[in-house]
Amino acid sequence: MFELFIAMIKEEWRIHSTMFGSISFALFPILIFWIAFMGSFLLPLMRQALPSGELSIVLHANYLMLGFMVGAFGLLGSEVMNRRFGQASLLAYAARSLPLSERFIFANFVIKDTLYYFVLWVLPLALGFLLASPFIGVPITLPLLLSLTLTLAFLSGLCLVFFLSSLYSRSKPALAAVLVFLALAAGAIALVTHENPAQLFPPVMLFNAFSWANLLQCCATIVILFTVSIWLFTPETADSTKHYHDMLMPLAKKLSFFPTPPLTAKDIIDMYRSGGMVGQTLFSFVIPLVVIWFFLSLLNGYLPTYGVLLEFALVTGVIASTMYTWLTMFDTFGAYACLPVSVRTVIKSKIASFTVLQIIPAVFVALAALLSGQALYLLPAVVLTLSVSFYSLGVTVWLTGLSPSVMVYSVKVMVTYLVLVGVVLLALSAVAFSSPFAALGAVVLFIPAIFFARLGFAKWEAREQPGF
Amino acid sequence: MSEHVIAATGLTKKYGDLVAVNGVSLSVEKGALYGLLGPNGSGKSTMIKMLTGQIRPTAGTATVLGVDVQQDPVGVRERVGIIPEQETPPSFLTAHEYLQLVGAIRKIPDIEERAAWWFDFMDFGDKKDVLCKDLSRGTRQKLMFAQAFVHQPALALIDEPLINFDPIMQHQVKDYLAEYTKKGNTIFLSTHILEVAEEICSDFVILHKGNILHTGTVASLDAEHRHLDDFFLELMQRTRNV
Repeated sequence: MFELFIAMIKEEWRIHSTMFGSISFALFPILIFWIAFMGSFLLPLMRQALPSGELSIVLHANYLMLGFMVGAFGLLGSEVMNRRFGQASLLAYAARSLPLSERFIFANFVIKDTLYYFVLWVLPLALGFLLASPFIGVPITLPLLLSLTLTLAFLSGLCLVFFLSSLYSRSKPALAAVLVFLALAAGAIALVTHENPAQLFPPVMLFNAFSWANLLQCCATIVILFTVSIWLFTPETADSTKHYHDMLMPLAKKLSFFPTPPLTAKDIIDMYRSGGMVGQTLFSFVIPLVVIWFFLSLLNGYLPTYGVLLEFALVTGVIASTMYTWLTMFDTFGAYACLPVSVRTVIKSKIASFTVLQIIPAVFVALAALLSGQALYLLPAVVLTLSVSFYSLGVTVWLTGLSPSVMVYSVKVMVTYLVLVGVVLLALSAVAFSSPFAALGAVVLFIPAIFFARLGFAKWEAREQPGF
Repeated sequence: MSEHVIAATGLTKKYGDLVAVNGVSLSVEKGALYGLLGPNGSGKSTMIKMLTGQIRPTAGTATVLGVDVQQDPVGVRERVGIIPEQETPPSFLTAHEYLQLVGAIRKIPDIEERAAWWFDFMDFGDKKDVLCKDLSRGTRQKLMFAQAFVHQPALALIDEPLINFDPIMQHQVKDYLAEYTKKGNTIFLSTHILEVAEEICSDFVILHKGNILHTGTVASLDAEHRHLDDFFLELMQRTRNV
């Protein structure tokens, strides 16, 4: 039965390598390694601003976030086969004709994704830091321990999202109950111990005070989450006789101010009927950002009063831009092959749908401003989020067209994205820290956003689409 | 003087070293039911994709209904109906909503009446309000057939349109296609089911490994008392021997 797992790994590799060539794709983990290696040399500088304890928490938060993102991409319970594979003849779908249980195929799929993305993202980062450690005066045991705890943080995020999404596919009230319980528990811990709950994240605790008991506790949590998730997984049981009311034209009428209302309406219906509107918003947006908020709030003592909120607004903007991926994961251009629709039109409709979805980050950041008692900075925070989101979208459209989730693994695409978005984030951080209301100037980002989107229209119109 | 609705000259498509279509030139007259025949991998689907502007030729030119497919691929798709190689209606729209979407994109004012006619003709029953992803392959194929003809195009390029239909629906659709061409419309039909081609096509071209092996009419075969499948097999045998 190991053959299925190996075949899935090969398949995943070929999906990416056929897009960019084996060598180009193989360079991706090397790029991550290089970024980590070079980035490590900045640590001594960063330590002057932040104590290393807080720095390690930020690192763990990043890995936890990575786990969330990887987990949320494919693992949305009973929808996964359709979501990720549709009618495609990929192994997770095709293997259903073999004498294997759906649960077994799904478990293989999850383990494959875990291992694959671990090698692609986590391992190179850890190795980069490990190899840089002798040069920055850090004892070798520290990066080794950090590699272990960062890996555990990544797996925690992955398994937690996997668990929550499996629960979601079984019972939405049960999911709500678990989330409420977790929120109450975090609140109670904060009240009783007067500590930020992020400090009690098991991998962080393990990093701060290594013990075999702590390690065992960490691993046990991950294994239990994973096992319960597999146990909760339900093979697709969609009722094929279910009938639906017409939504397309009524919705298109409401969206008539967009350039292609029927296509925008279709995107929104895709999200709604697939469960993505709730599932993606929860697992790819709200939960990761709530966790990020807790971690960022640890920096309160080192930033201006409004600093955490505005940093949070920037991060939310970047994450909000990934909503474009939610919209493009349902159909390739092949679905429009028989219609008189250009690539430019499809991308424009996705941008319109993206604009509708931006109400989510706008409301989310506004709530964060209100709940954190910084209503005064609500406007700069929302402007920052939306400006960064649309700017990052413009860059994404230019670089990846209608295939953002695949093209991101091209080294050239990744480096260009990191440079174009990273530079803007750094500049905006500096501006926002110097004067929060200067952050309102971020609206100028809409100009390069439109410029990049237009470049993208011309670029992708001139290329043959993979869906064909 | 005959009117050509499709005129292709030296159409070529290469994928790296693989030549999928190699310098194919053909012309299709208005009102023909033109069969594009050939074994699997002969380049039939690639031809249809090039003629409908879905992929760009590596070399050669083509006009469809007078529109250059490279200059204005969307213009070509506006004028023709297409059934693609794989039935791919959007997963989370119902069959009815899909036809509404097609109607909105193609700007068909009476789409509701037309959709109702097609659902009745294709015997959809209560499936029109079911999500496309939950439809059977045959029903999805019916839907793709309906979307290709709902705007009554002067030319339809259809790739294996009958393959998932039951015998009753096959019969019904073959009659529809024959009637459609009698009204002066043209059908460009790609298939490897030779019985179907012989039954309904007026003209045909046989492709093999991206090259044209033979161009002819079913009437000329009839005159020689030959069946299309025998002729096709002989041709393939000769090609192998060569």
